Amino acid sequence: MNELLILNGYVYDPLNGIEGERADISIRDGKVVESVGTGAKIIDASGMIVMPGGVDIHSHIAGSKVNAGRILRPEDHEKDVERHTAITRAGTGHSIPSTFTTGYRYAKLGYTTVFEPATPLLKARHTHEELDDTPIVDKGCFPLFGNDWRTMEYLRQGQLEECAAYVAWMLRATKGYAIKIVNPGGVEAWGWGRYLVGLEDRVPNFDITPREIVRGLCKVNKMLHLPHTIHVHTNDLAKIGNYQTTIDTMDSVRDLSSDSKPVIHITHVQFTGRTGSAWHSVGSGAPEIADYVNKHGHVTADMGQVVFMNTTTMTADGGFQYMLYQLSGNKWMNFDVEVETGAGIVPYRYRRNNYVNAVQWGIGLELALLIKDPWRVYMTTDHPNGGDFTKYPKIICWLMSRKAREKSLARINSIARNKLDLPDIDREYSFSEIAVVTRAGTANALGLKEKGHLGVGADADVAVYNINPTKIDPSRDYRLVRRALKKAAFTIKDGRTVVKNGEIVETPIGRTYWVDSAVSEDLNAKVESQMRKTFAQYYTVQMDNYAMADSELANSNRIKVKAEV
Amino acid sequence: MTILSKTIIPNVICTFCGSTCDDLQVTVEDEKVLSVRSGCSSSLSKYLNYNADRYLSPLVRKDGELRDATYDDAVCRSAEILANAKYPLLYGWSSTSNEASRAGIELAEWVGGVIDNTTTVCHGPTLLGVHDIGEVSASLGEIMHRADLVVYWGSNPVHSHPHHIMRYTSMSTGRFRLSKKNRTMVVVDVRRTDTAKLADQFIQITPNGDYELMCALRMAIRGDELEQDVISGVPAEKIEELAELMVSCQFGVIFFGLGLTMTQGRHRNVDVALSLVRDLNARTKFLIMPMRGHFNVAGANEVSAWVTGFPYAVDLSQGYPRYNPGDTTAVDVLVRGDCDAALVVASDPVASFPIEVSRHLAKIPVITIDPHPSATTPISEVVFPTTVVGIETGGCIYRMDGVAIMTRPVVSPPPGLHSDVEILRDILAHVKKLKAGQQA
Amino acid sequence: MREIILTIKRELCLPVEAGEISPDKLAGKTVKEIESTKIWEGNKQLALDDIFKVSEKPNGTDEPTIRVIGNASKIRKIGYRTSSGSVIVEGNAGMYVGEEMSGGSILVTGDAGSWLGTKMKGGRIEVKGKAGDYAGAGYRGTTLGMKGGTIIIHDDAGNEVGCWMTNGTIRIKGNTGLFPGIHMSNGTVLVEGSCEGRAGAQMRGGKVIISGYIPAILPSFAFEEIQEKAKCGEEKIAGPFYAFSGDMNENGKGKLSVRVTANPQLKWYEKYLEA
Repeated sequence: MNELLILNGYVYDPLNGIEGERADISIRDGKVVESVGTGAKIIDASGMIVMPGGVDIHSHIAGSKVNAGRILRPEDHEKDVERHTAITRAGTGHSIPSTFTTGYRYAKLGYTTVFEPATPLLKARHTHEELDDTPIVDKGCFPLFGNDWRTMEYLRQGQLEECAAYVAWMLRATKGYAIKIVNPGGVEAWGWGRYLVGLEDRVPNFDITPREIVRGLCKVNKMLHLPHTIHVHTNDLAKIGNYQTTIDTMDSVRDLSSDSKPVIHITHVQFTGRTGSAWHSVGSGAPEIADYVNKHGHVTADMGQVVFMNTTTMTADGGFQYMLYQLSGNKWMNFDVEVETGAGIVPYRYRRNNYVNAVQWGIGLELALLIKDPWRVYMTTDHPNGGDFTKYPKIICWLMSRKAREKSLARINSIARNKLDLPDIDREYSFSEIAVVTRAGTANALGLKEKGHLGVGADADVAVYNINPTKIDPSRDYRLVRRALKKAAFTIKDGRTVVKNGEIVETPIGRTYWVDSAVSEDLNAKVESQMRKTFAQYYTVQMDNYAMADSELANSNRIKVKAEV
Repeated sequence: MTILSKTIIPNVICTFCGSTCDDLQVTVEDEKVLSVRSGCSSSLSKYLNYNADRYLSPLVRKDGELRDATYDDAVCRSAEILANAKYPLLYGWSSTSNEASRAGIELAEWVGGVIDNTTTVCHGPTLLGVHDIGEVSASLGEIMHRADLVVYWGSNPVHSHPHHIMRYTSMSTGRFRLSKKNRTMVVVDVRRTDTAKLADQFIQITPNGDYELMCALRMAIRGDELEQDVISGVPAEKIEELAELMVSCQFGVIFFGLGLTMTQGRHRNVDVALSLVRDLNARTKFLIMPMRGHFNVAGANEVSAWVTGFPYAVDLSQGYPRYNPGDTTAVDVLVRGDCDAALVVASDPVASFPIEVSRHLAKIPVITIDPHPSATTPISEVVFPTTVVGIETGGCIYRMDGVAIMTRPVVSPPPGLHSDVEILRDILAHVKKLKAGQQA
Repeated sequence: MREIILTIKRELCLPVEAGEISPDKLAGKTVKEIESTKIWEGNKQLALDDIFKVSEKPNGTDEPTIRVIGNASKIRKIGYRTSSGSVIVEGNAGMYVGEEMSGGSILVTGDAGSWLGTKMKGGRIEVKGKAGDYAGAGYRGTTLGMKGGTIIIHDDAGNEVGCWMTNGTIRIKGNTGLFPGIHMSNGTVLVEGSCEGRAGAQMRGGKVIISGYIPAILPSFAFEEIQEKAKCGEEKIAGPFYAFSGDMNENGKGKLSVRVTANPQLKWYEKYLEA
């Protein structure tokens, strides 16, 4: 029997109301249990923090555009290398790490679950090949529907049930976990090199608006009982002042929520949280957005925090990426995907003394500090768009320590500093709140019942950080916090120790989570026969060659739900 | 899976060129391919002839001659050669599955060698251009649906990718372009090829003049006047006309081939072509796409990039990935005589590389893994016959535009034959043991 | 100070990477320490004295010197990150000589491999023989190439000299291949011999001077005037030169000067001179 006892740590398990009490965590056969026998292996976590393993809800780690980014930027990898060892594979970083390096670096941070948030349906197989080469962490991906022809046609026709059955079919075929929407309708417009403006603009040739797409997919999501809500990258990313679009998008589905439960997740809100009509006077729309989120329980969000570094932007929002190329003059990759979506990649350096970048940096932090409920706002950088994920400890320090923020504020563009509200914000996150925004809250939003907490029955994914919360004051000693979070003392995955003192000791293959939402056989048959027609007309691959078999995943973990239709 | 009675297997994925047509209908009986429908002549040739001229047993060189050997002997010998090598080269990869590439890179790591794929003699220059400029592209269906201007530059798809035009470009049916009438096709080449004969416009260019012509087109698109009357054999007015055609289309695309990558200028020809297309996007929607030749060279690049960070020519000799084409590319490594052993998978360097390369290969121990004998086989130390990917073994491959497709077998392989993935994994297992022994 | 002498004592078949051969790395070490310094040969690390016989002698100056004797054409990265002192290679040198150099000097009496002075920031490299391709270039994908320093090649150089250059001077006394100064934004490339073509391609700034024959000028270069002299650093080179500006496709403000007498095939540009 595989028994492990994590002894005497300061446990932060917010889902179960444990906030820093000394407790033991008992593990058997990969699960948290009530207690274990005397023969159990012991990890002495005295004087250390014990948390559930990190759960990253949005990080571009695998798939065609991530890999296009790797190919685009040999200079990004050249100086950041990982050597081959007897147990770890060689690899490279920096802003777009190779897959094995990605898995190892996440594990070293104490993360055990990561979701790749933007997978073209047609290219899902590629994403899964890469995820299978991403060791240790459990993972999943969000297939893209917001510019998909069939989706838009069904919604235009008001055929919600057919749309739902179609989405369910696609999630099974692509082994996807959730409905992702990027710049709804806008990426189809970009297929012609065009842009949409706002939520009411009509998609050329499809006669549907972004609002209708978001609402339609929100309803479909509910009908399918998917564990996560729709995951939305809003329209108008390329627009200078775009915070209102974010609020309008949130508001567009307010009536679809029953008892204020979340029905929409807006991702990397920082990027669509700007005010102003010219770059030189851009400002933070975080107060307005936070106000809306505070008053409306149907929304969750993640930060998309900027870090000052040379990183790589990559999104399915091809039109936005072209604009970033025009602004920066950097090299530019674009990859539209037939029938479905697009992608764009542009290297980008965020600079402290650049007014706009400094404001962007402020927006992300303001969002997290002004949104009151940590269960509805999550820490991300939209890796690698705002910065790479190894910078998470730095961001955590900004959240926990006003002093850390002041130090950074002192170095940023002074006009930006004066424009932001951030200098006046006192709030400092506690360890408990950090546990929420990096694991408990994200697992909850994703509907992963066995992740993000350490109650009996949870997966034994645990992070132990060498820092004593009773002896240090994170507000003052944020550097110690950062050091501890950068290198987990122990990371445990399914009850096995994978990281010890910041070094990889074991490299199991994580699970790939995907959702199988069962619709009625009749509806499925009807929609499948409709799909045969549209496949033949629309795609350059045969329908029978499209769907992935379960056996294509190294460690397939199907989550079965029953749809309403 | 044994197919004895006559069966028509639909939706078979062709593993010949980068078009990766997936609508073949293969008729099999008694584990034999009888006929193929919907494929082009190249694919037909592959399916009907794949079983001719094969080794059925591994071979190991003993006393100067290649002799039949057991699989285990061949694995042991191969592992010894690679584990003891100080700078081995692992080459090929483009005519096999991603699974094989993944195993190959792991092996290269363990033996501390250089792993390179056939990109190096084909579209390597394209990748070098992309590193500097980026690439504005799309999946092939985007062209099928939207393109009203299709340019083939230095590429002759009628011969190299026979179904390309019909499936994806000028003769395909798209949602917004119902027929050939809605599209214009232009061919730029040094001679009037069979593809040029199908074009609405053919522009003949002097050999090695591509860079200057692209440069002039960029000028014309900017509205700058050309000071020269004729550039690369093309009159200035014609260049200006082509520029006008490009900026006034709704959706254009340039497909390019070895005419750009393998003529004078090479990756800089691609660099300037990528720059041209990038410039055009300020005026209209325009894309560019390399015509990848081998059926899974795109896959070999993608696998290499996600595992190591770099798309080909990866030097793992110091324990971490290093990349510099011109240094770490297979031909350069061989021409300099730097490598002391080689593993060749699904490729034939003796046939396709310069002669100095063959001379060096003949001096070092070479392990060949291939379904068929090739020019490289006679100089090999160990030869493994393998199953044919896409016919006898499945595996994931990537179309020229990066779309991943899972091939499936249509017949069983001859008994006793292993797939290249199995062979590589077995060699790796043995190498790990040898390396552990070396450490001790 | 002393001169450290490294004499190659055996034949080299595998690539050797010896970035340790620089004054910065070796000046503070004893002979024994130098002998046991680790370098790479293929996939193995070995002690420097496996390949070199190490000796030393005073050099009568106040800067350290390293002298490599023998055919070092398989040895890469000699002079890596040199910031002061000098390196002399008596014979051929391999690729990446003087990579990331910031000061001091390197002299190669024979030929040097490709990527001579790659990512250089300062200092001086002189090659008596030929150089390969990419002299003074940056790494793949970077837009910041050579940032400073001087490279002098007495014989011929290959293609793409000064690729993505942002400052410094490269002087080729022999001939050069294609694309000298490609993508450069500042600095000077001077070719005293002939050039295969496409000089200054896609440049945004900086200077390329071709003293010998070049078959043609790219269409994206505008003919400006005939200059009496061309300047290379402080030196004024007597002309006359055809002066072009470009690359217009990059909105470039670069200058390309081509010697009039060596290029009669370019005489037709003179029709653009004001009468």
